[in-house]
Amino acid sequence: MTSPLFFKVAVFPGLTSIGIIIALFIWLDRKITARVQLRVGPLYASPLGGVLQSFADLIKFAFKELFIPRNADKFFFVAAPVLALIGGAGLVGLIPFTPEWQISNLELGLPAFLAFVTLSPMLILLAGWSANSKYPFIGGLRSLFQQTAYEIPLWLSAIGVVMMAGTMNLIGIVQAQAKPWYVFPGMYIPGWYIIPQALGALLFFITATAEMERIPFDLPEAEPEIIMGWQAEYPGFLFMSAAGASFVRLYAFSALFSVLYLGGWMGPAPVPALLWTAIKIIIVSSLIILLRATFPRVRIDQLLRAGWTYLLGLAFLNIVITYLLVVGPRI
Amino acid sequence: MPDIAFFGFAAVTVLGAILALESRDLVYGAVSLGVSFLGVASLFFLLDAAYIGVFQIAVYIGAVVILILFTVMLVGPAKGEGPTEFRRTALFIGILVAMMLGVGGALASPSAFSTNQPCTPECDLAQFSQSLLVTYSVQLAVLSLVFAAAVIGALTLAKSERGTA
Repeated sequence: MTSPLFFKVAVFPGLTSIGIIIALFIWLDRKITARVQLRVGPLYASPLGGVLQSFADLIKFAFKELFIPRNADKFFFVAAPVLALIGGAGLVGLIPFTPEWQISNLELGLPAFLAFVTLSPMLILLAGWSANSKYPFIGGLRSLFQQTAYEIPLWLSAIGVVMMAGTMNLIGIVQAQAKPWYVFPGMYIPGWYIIPQALGALLFFITATAEMERIPFDLPEAEPEIIMGWQAEYPGFLFMSAAGASFVRLYAFSALFSVLYLGGWMGPAPVPALLWTAIKIIIVSSLIILLRATFPRVRIDQLLRAGWTYLLGLAFLNIVITYLLVVGPRI
Repeated sequence: MPDIAFFGFAAVTVLGAILALESRDLVYGAVSLGVSFLGVASLFFLLDAAYIGVFQIAVYIGAVVILILFTVMLVGPAKGEGPTEFRRTALFIGILVAMMLGVGGALASPSAFSTNQPCTPECDLAQFSQSLLVTYSVQLAVLSLVFAAAVIGALTLAKSERGTA
């Protein structure tokens, strides 16, 4: 019998499950985008709507030649996407899927998650720089601009949740949402923070999408402008790591959003807690994928202006609103 | 066991700092500085000061190292250009200063960090905010004014340069 911690790290919610879920997310991404655009999407790789397509791609990538450009900085060229993938998987370790199914229950779970997110622009910049090529370098610089600009509203919008819950522990944040709100006799609504923190949740959603570099904020890898940006020079397995890293972050951020704003594992009794978490993660990630299928890409100057002015201002406004909700108006 | 972890993280910190000073490529130097900061953050975690550790990562690696990298990328030498000069004396002076500081810190530590109250991981944040917002609130306000002045100064500089260009 292996130890429970080893099982958690190796199987669920750790490495094996992350790999499988990432492959399923890539399939979901392609399938939803295809359906919105009236295409079929992956079809042949299994009887179930091509759900095994990502696994087939994975095998294909694994057998490709590992071609590294001659003048590239070999160390960072290889290390950056692999570290980005590992760092993204580390984010999942902080998420409480249920109180039992969590790898690392830190007292400061939320700031630790966001602090590890701040490491990623460095890795992406290094990946773009090390390829020693123009398009990857432009992509890396764009990522630097974008992620550092959107980190600040991301932190500030998460502060609202911390103020309401009175803790930075992710399990504590979910438990603080357990108390339902009384609307009128016989009617209760769940005390999830999506309702009092509606503005904060919207800001968190937008800034997290920008941090994940997904359309409409995928400037660092915009195909029509800078041909996949910082990923342009990557061969087979390394491209898989780079692309997988962005899907790990989609998984981790969807899970964090459902923990912060949607009550985590809570829900009516007959459905097990773990399934509630899974349902919420799938809903949030499908929303993020739908954005990709619906919206056009923004320009870099629009993105930065919106980030430094509107989103930052609204994040401060959200803190003021939360203060009034928690403490109440005082003179 | 904590001793092994302490020596490991201390070695990472010191080696990262030496590499940051001495690496021939500026990008490698900046990344080594980030590794050194990561070691410092790990030491804070070992000391049960998780709050400071988390913000060490967020501020020093997430902001400072990235700004340094940004500057290097924009104005530094292109990749493949000749290495910067290797200064051996700087290494010796650095090690000497580090040793002096370390000895000084070790001598000062019994008096500087003497605390009798036991502290659980939860209480450090509460105590920290208590002392920051109650005991040192005036100093905090003055400090924030300094930062505000710095931000306004930077904005003015950026504006005036754009005007002349």
